Amino acid sequence: MKTKDKRKKKNFKKLGERRCRFTRLGVEFVDWKDVPTLQRLCTGQGKLLGRKRSGSNAAFQRKVSQAVKRARYMGLMPYIGS
Amino acid sequence: MYPYEAMFLVDPNLYAEDSEAVETTVKSLLEKHGAKIVQFERWDERKLAFEIKGHKRGVYLLAHVEMPGDGVDAMRRETRIIEVILRNLVIRLEDDIPVYLEKSAKYAEIMKEDHEARRARREEAAGMDGGGYGGGGGYGGGSHDAPSAVQDTPGS
Repeated sequence: MKTKDKRKKKNFKKLGERRCRFTRLGVEFVDWKDVPTLQRLCTGQGKLLGRKRSGSNAAFQRKVSQAVKRARYMGLMPYIGS
Repeated sequence: MYPYEAMFLVDPNLYAEDSEAVETTVKSLLEKHGAKIVQFERWDERKLAFEIKGHKRGVYLLAHVEMPGDGVDAMRRETRIIEVILRNLVIRLEDDIPVYLEKSAKYAEIMKEDHEARRARREEAAGMDGGGYGGGGGYGGGSHDAPSAVQDTPGS
């Protein structure tokens, strides 16, 4: 029996480019005051991008999460985007 | 004494009236609770992401201080009484302040470089094939890194 499995194979990035951007850049922490960088890691609605989407590794994803929350508290980033 | 990073959001109207008085208020508040100010920085007036206490714009004051832990709570309690301060955030730093400042300067540099490289790549891609959807089609055909960043006001 043939199943109707027509799911596309997921398009993974090549291993070399899949690494966490913060690891790649060699930084040690995520600055909560750096709004342009944090905005890249959020959707237009102001939600944090998931790890699969942002490519961050676990340690940095936690740091990003913390940083975005701090930036939100200070009014640098929106809780709810436009 | 521990290293802290303290940020204050102050009323832009009062700041415009008398910037010195506002800065002195904040500085003396810190010093009153035993802080030693290592660096004091002012960010330009910018738009807030949402209204805070009825203000749509605000001025940020950023201080790197060394102060005893007991002082932080007392200081934060007091900020609620002071009218100019709309909001404040105090963060205990992992490193000593000179080390931290050095690290954050390095961080800013790396990020700036990355942003520029990214922009250059994007422009190149846009120029090359008129914004095609990538050959393979489907999700992740091209670089699906993040939505294009919204331009931010300078001063961060």
